[in-house]
Amino acid sequence: MDSKQIEQLLEKYWNAETSLEEEQELHRYFQTNGVPDTLQETAELFRYFTHEKNKTFTDSDFDKRVTKHIGQRQGGKVIRMTNWFQIARVAAGVLVLVAAVYLIGQEVRKSSPIEIADTETDPQLAFEETKKALLMISKSFNKAQQEVVKINLLNEAQQKIERKSAEGENKPSI
Amino acid sequence: MNLEDFENRVLPTKHKLYRFAFRLLGSSEEAKDVVQETMLKVWNGRDLAEVQNMEAWCMRITKNLSLDKLRSIQRRTTHSIESTAEFHHEGLTPHEKTELHESMKRIDQLMAALPDKQRQVMHLRDVEGHSYNEICEILELDMNQVKVNLFRARNAVREKLTKLNAYGL
Repeated sequence: MDSKQIEQLLEKYWNAETSLEEEQELHRYFQTNGVPDTLQETAELFRYFTHEKNKTFTDSDFDKRVTKHIGQRQGGKVIRMTNWFQIARVAAGVLVLVAAVYLIGQEVRKSSPIEIADTETDPQLAFEETKKALLMISKSFNKAQQEVVKINLLNEAQQKIERKSAEGENKPSI
Repeated sequence: MNLEDFENRVLPTKHKLYRFAFRLLGSSEEAKDVVQETMLKVWNGRDLAEVQNMEAWCMRITKNLSLDKLRSIQRRTTHSIESTAEFHHEGLTPHEKTELHESMKRIDQLMAALPDKQRQVMHLRDVEGHSYNEICEILELDMNQVKVNLFRARNAVREKLTKLNAYGL
């Protein structure tokens, strides 16, 4: 398209008489490099329009935010269903936890007696060890009993003193 | 309209709505808020009316919300040039880039100085390429008003461009 035609088209454009197709033609023309100097400022205007049309806003979370809002504003039925879903989710979590605790407990119970039985191989030796352990306990009991006898002596003495002082108090009143 | 419809027909208009809201409000943050409000409004009113031209419908809601916002903040904003999107032009020298940037800024200011209706009509026609009928629908104006406003807007811009050029600014 020569510059004469362009100027005619431009005159129509300024008078707001151009069709969309003709305006698109002008846009295309001003994107090229062969624009004469006299039309430079008009070219700037058309380049500005094209540039503005390609402008976008950068907000990567926008779609997510909007769909989330929409989810919140949906009808009652849908919300109730989501609530059931939430409850089911929590219930499933609790169930898994209970099952895990039960199974692990069972494993522990199963494995521990075997470990104790395995510490001694010879029954005779086991018997000796047990005897030793029981003897140690009875020795400790005896020792403790001797100490208790000493405390008993003190108690008896205290009781005697109490009795005597009670008698002393009672005598004058008779 | 179900969610899938919404994602296919409404969400993709967000950039266009943003450009229009930005043209009216001159603030990137407020324009984004308006776009989000528009989306929710379209969704909430999805069963009320059978919309034939979804894009024009969204644009109309954007316009109304933007004007509400303008009224509520009670100030006439002009474009804050700093907050406009960054210019990305590959293959240009830094000098050419600055020059391009400067000329964009000049025209941005020319458009910002236009009266509201003229600016709206010019944006919808020259930037977005809408038909006169669509512009009538979006701006809720009759055909005659749209044409008059476009004529005045283009002439004002032409005059200012010539002046700028004559004074070598």
